[in-house]
Amino acid sequence: MSKLLNLALGILAAIGGFVDIGDLVFNTAAGATFGYQLMWVIPIGVIGIIVYSEMCGRVAAVSGKAVFDTVRERAGFKAGLYALIASEVVNLLTLAAEIGGVAIVLQLLSGLDYRVLLPLAIVALAVVMWTIKLDWIERIFGYGGLALLVFAVAAVKSGPDWVKVGNGFIPHLAQNNPWLYLYFVIGLLGAAMTPYEVYFYSSGGVEDRWTPKDIGLNRANAIVGYGLGGFLSLALMIVGGAVFLRHGINPEHLGTIALGAEEPLGKAGLLFALVGILFAVGGASIDTVFSGAYNLAQYLGWEWGRYRHPAGAPRFALTWLVLLVAALAIVITGVDPVMLTEYAVIFSAVALPLTYIPILLVANDREYMGTNRNGRLANVLGVVYLVVIMVIAVAAIPLMIITNVGQN
Amino acid sequence: MRSAVVLVAVLLLTGCNGGTVDRHALTNDAATIDSINCESWLLARAAERGRLTTYYAREQAEELQIQAANFADALAHRKTASGLEQRVRAKAKEAATLSSRLQRLHKHPTDHALAAQLAQTFKQAGNCS
Repeated sequence: MSKLLNLALGILAAIGGFVDIGDLVFNTAAGATFGYQLMWVIPIGVIGIIVYSEMCGRVAAVSGKAVFDTVRERAGFKAGLYALIASEVVNLLTLAAEIGGVAIVLQLLSGLDYRVLLPLAIVALAVVMWTIKLDWIERIFGYGGLALLVFAVAAVKSGPDWVKVGNGFIPHLAQNNPWLYLYFVIGLLGAAMTPYEVYFYSSGGVEDRWTPKDIGLNRANAIVGYGLGGFLSLALMIVGGAVFLRHGINPEHLGTIALGAEEPLGKAGLLFALVGILFAVGGASIDTVFSGAYNLAQYLGWEWGRYRHPAGAPRFALTWLVLLVAALAIVITGVDPVMLTEYAVIFSAVALPLTYIPILLVANDREYMGTNRNGRLANVLGVVYLVVIMVIAVAAIPLMIITNVGQN
Repeated sequence: MRSAVVLVAVLLLTGCNGGTVDRHALTNDAATIDSINCESWLLARAAERGRLTTYYAREQAEELQIQAANFADALAHRKTASGLEQRVRAKAKEAATLSSRLQRLHKHPTDHALAAQLAQTFKQAGNCS
């Protein structure tokens, strides 16, 4: 019974913890621009992150090594260094955007100055990370993020055309503005397949001392957690289409997204949305900063671990503190967190193959993985997504330039 | 590698908001001003009905006001393609009016009568549906 309860609680936390600022921005903007025409991209992105995470979790369970241990081992120190630098840059951009998002929501809830709230948000996150056990951090932010389910209610209450919603799941190209449409395809895939989530996930597997016996648990976690989390992305896109597109609004501010829940549900909808966004973005900030520290520590062979007291892994602790300060330095310049999010998501799509390819090779290596290497389905999906990832990596920056970062 | 980075930087900079306003840019800017009007309409309507918190109404109105003011400033001063100057400057005035209306909402987020009056003007100005 207690195992079932733990599983249920874990799933709830995963749903609440799935959405980050990239999902919020891209799903809502895609709905506001193209209605429900891009619904088909969300399942593709969600299956992609499941395939990638499942492989990383399996490698961690068999070898006891997380992503950047594996990348360094498989790609070599020099080639691995490019992957590390690219991942850390994207991580830092994402972290800065998430922290900016936390400060914006706090501003909308408290009326305090954004520039005052930025350092306060950093200090609050550092205190939480230093003092609270990670299990509790995941629960608190995961359950808080469940308030985002208000968008599922808003999606139904806003009265979308369900036939058009259904048709949106059939892949097709838009007749009007095909470049912008493709830019959103890339952005939605990039937002769903954010690499920091995978680094965090596989490092967690190593810290939880997964063994090959836990491969079933790894698979269930990846499928159920990400699968149900993707449900929130669908809800956000429906709200984008049913509220913002209908009224001719292009949501360019994080606060506007909450207005999408107010329109059908009133003040309660607005408050639930703001609280949900705060917890989702706050939780994602913590995942991102830990991921950045994991990557560096694993690559350089330092002691690392979120369950360890900072004194037991001082360079790991120092790294996440430095990352928090660096993110503050970026976002306090006044750069718009929503714009920063778009750049972070697009560049993460570009950097994705650098870690995906070594993981795919290792997961398929008979000597390394033994009987737990990729089966036929995992291989087919792994190769299909390799093609998808390579295409989006090549197309991301040209599309960003052609569409002026999605502005036209 | 270095030349690719320079090319990307140049392309990004030329795509930013600092060049000459041509027909395409004017269409985009006009659409964004309409979008701000329509969002302001939703915001003011919700404020009129007491469906917002005071802080949310105040801060979100300020965000939109700053965006509209930036448009007003940019469209008032940027170079324009030939034959477009009059339309561009008219859009600048429209954005400035929008900004001043949002400033009123920002300063009086709990004034339901003012919110109702502003909601109508935003809706009309943005041709919102």
